[in-house]
Amino acid sequence: MAASDTPIEKVKSVLDDPSARAITRVYADGFLSAARSMGSSEDALDEFQSFIDDVMKRYPEFARILNSSIVSRDDKIDLIQKVVGPFGSKLFTNFLCVLAKHERLGLLPLILKESRSRHEIQQGIRHVKVTSSEPLNENAVERIRSSMKQKMPFEPVIDLQTDPEILGGLVIQVGDTVYDGSLATRLKKLRERIGERTLNEIQSGRNRFSHIEAN
Amino acid sequence: MKFKADEIASVISKQIEEFQGQVETSEVGRVLEVGDGIARCYGLSSAMSGEMVEFSNGVRGLVFNLEEDSVGVIILGDYLEITEGDEVRTTGALLSVPVGDALIGRVVDPLGNPIDGAGPIVASETRPVETAAPGVAARQPVTEPLQTGIKAVDAMTPIGRGQRELIIGDRKTGKTTIALDTILNQKGGDVICVYVACGQRDASVAGVVEVLKEYGAMDYTIVVSASASDPAPLQYVAPYTGAAMAEHFMYQGKHTLVVYDDLSKQAQAYRQLSLLMRRPPGREAYPGDVFYCHSRLLERSAKLNDELGGGSMTALPIIETLEGEVSAYIPTNVISITDGQIYLEPDLFFAGVRPAINVGISVSRVGGNAQIKAMKDKKVAGGIKLDLAAFRELEAFAQLGTELDKATQAQLDRGYRMVELLKQPQYQPLHVADQVISIFAGTNGVFDSVAPSEVAEQEQRLLQFIREEKSEIRNTIIETKALSDDTKDALLAAYKEFKDRIEATA
Repeated sequence: MAASDTPIEKVKSVLDDPSARAITRVYADGFLSAARSMGSSEDALDEFQSFIDDVMKRYPEFARILNSSIVSRDDKIDLIQKVVGPFGSKLFTNFLCVLAKHERLGLLPLILKESRSRHEIQQGIRHVKVTSSEPLNENAVERIRSSMKQKMPFEPVIDLQTDPEILGGLVIQVGDTVYDGSLATRLKKLRERIGERTLNEIQSGRNRFSHIEAN
Repeated sequence: MKFKADEIASVISKQIEEFQGQVETSEVGRVLEVGDGIARCYGLSSAMSGEMVEFSNGVRGLVFNLEEDSVGVIILGDYLEITEGDEVRTTGALLSVPVGDALIGRVVDPLGNPIDGAGPIVASETRPVETAAPGVAARQPVTEPLQTGIKAVDAMTPIGRGQRELIIGDRKTGKTTIALDTILNQKGGDVICVYVACGQRDASVAGVVEVLKEYGAMDYTIVVSASASDPAPLQYVAPYTGAAMAEHFMYQGKHTLVVYDDLSKQAQAYRQLSLLMRRPPGREAYPGDVFYCHSRLLERSAKLNDELGGGSMTALPIIETLEGEVSAYIPTNVISITDGQIYLEPDLFFAGVRPAINVGISVSRVGGNAQIKAMKDKKVAGGIKLDLAAFRELEAFAQLGTELDKATQAQLDRGYRMVELLKQPQYQPLHVADQVISIFAGTNGVFDSVAPSEVAEQEQRLLQFIREEKSEIRNTIIETKALSDDTKDALLAAYKEFKDRIEATA
């Protein structure tokens, strides 16, 4: 049932809760600036990533304890210090303790995502979504990359996507801005304009036959 | 006529040849949640307040709220087809509607789309729905009359071109009728009318259009309809659309009249949107800026100065009260914005006084300057308001059953006849010269010998008599717009002749 599949697909693409994002932004900024002042933010992000991948995902029970509201704040901090302290860096352990103290441990994956994207922006890297109707070959991608690099004040990282519905051309999205050069949009524009012109033409033809004063 | 298929085909092929694809740049966002007529969107980081946005299925929306992480959009169309995750694009344009001569005689929705089934509207121009009102320097005082054709209104609460006169009253007291009569009375004149139905029943809108058609008023009228079944955003936008359509003619130096029927429903639609958008509620749960919502609309009515063409836009906003409660929030707001109000009372209405205008609290703050000289005369409408007030007082006193002296009894009798004289059936607006003739007759006691129930009939006969046999007097009043002593004498003589004839036949 293709029809019932689509809405589910759509819901998946919907982003996270905007108020949660506002909060994650604060923690991500704090984490990055602390990491920078103590060394490399790259390393800190790698550590963060490995905590999510190797600890939280591998031991869901541990993740559940951290997210649970039955376990008290102090117990969580205690646990973090005992479990993460001996292995992780001081910065990361402290970061987790701060989150635990403010009961924001549930936002960890989101904070990681946000930190990564903000780190990239600080490094002058931005993700660019390129949609085409057919998969693009290496050559074309390279050409898009180099021309974007010239025109945009950042280093583009290209995420490719294919969508046969655009028929041809490219749709490039940087942040919220979309540069739409797709065939589908052009055809839509052309259809609008032809409709408008034809209507005008019909109307003026009608006017020619009717009395001027009657209009 | 027949369309030539190859002509149109050539237009199309020329279009295709000349078409140049351009890369379209726009901001996008995604729909987070959809409610009754509203959507909350994520992204659209550079959207502007009041900007038009387009959803992926082609429905338009209007940016309403700008928040830190999301943008609130009101949906101008079918919101049931928009789902979570849909794409939204900015258009970089403000909401505009088609304006111009092509719209006259048409019934349109608040976006300017025809809903009367009479084919597409090909308008050469569009105009933003929300524009700033003309400033102080662009205006001039209201001095020209806008004749409503209703004796009670033109005599006691006269309306000038560029004025805003509120029509207020309970349900079923004849508010729309006053507005409709005013539109009908503009027939053959130079005033273009716009009737905005906001939150009305579809049946009543159809009824209004039917009346306008029947009396030939659609030739100079535009009807903008956002009925009760339309989504709240459309009801909210409708009055601004009507104002934009009238403004177009005003800036061309023409005279216009806009009826907003009614603004209490618009305020309710605005309250619904604001509450859905989680704006903080204030008194009666209306948002804090509901006053501004009405003031910016009504301020757009103006009489422009001569450099700008001297056009005008007269507004007749209508407010429905509950059980005569004029001190509720929206009525007081609109009363304070407008230049006067016509207050309609159910008691009077059911007592047969129609139009059911309460003379005591109905006022016009600028219209007096706009009355024609003949009407302003002391012996015509000049003293009628005070006389009626005195009569009301006496009437209350007389009900105590005390013996009355002759002078008081005469004053009472005159009063009963004046009240009868000011009654007027609906859809029968009177020319201002006829109004002057009949009110002057009333104040001179022509109907004193007639039973109150027969005053209306005798008035008709008098007007017919003057029209047919003394048309020179009527023409003088129409031409000079004044009541000179000679004209007065001629009128009094005509009245005498009329009376004698009645007595002779009786």
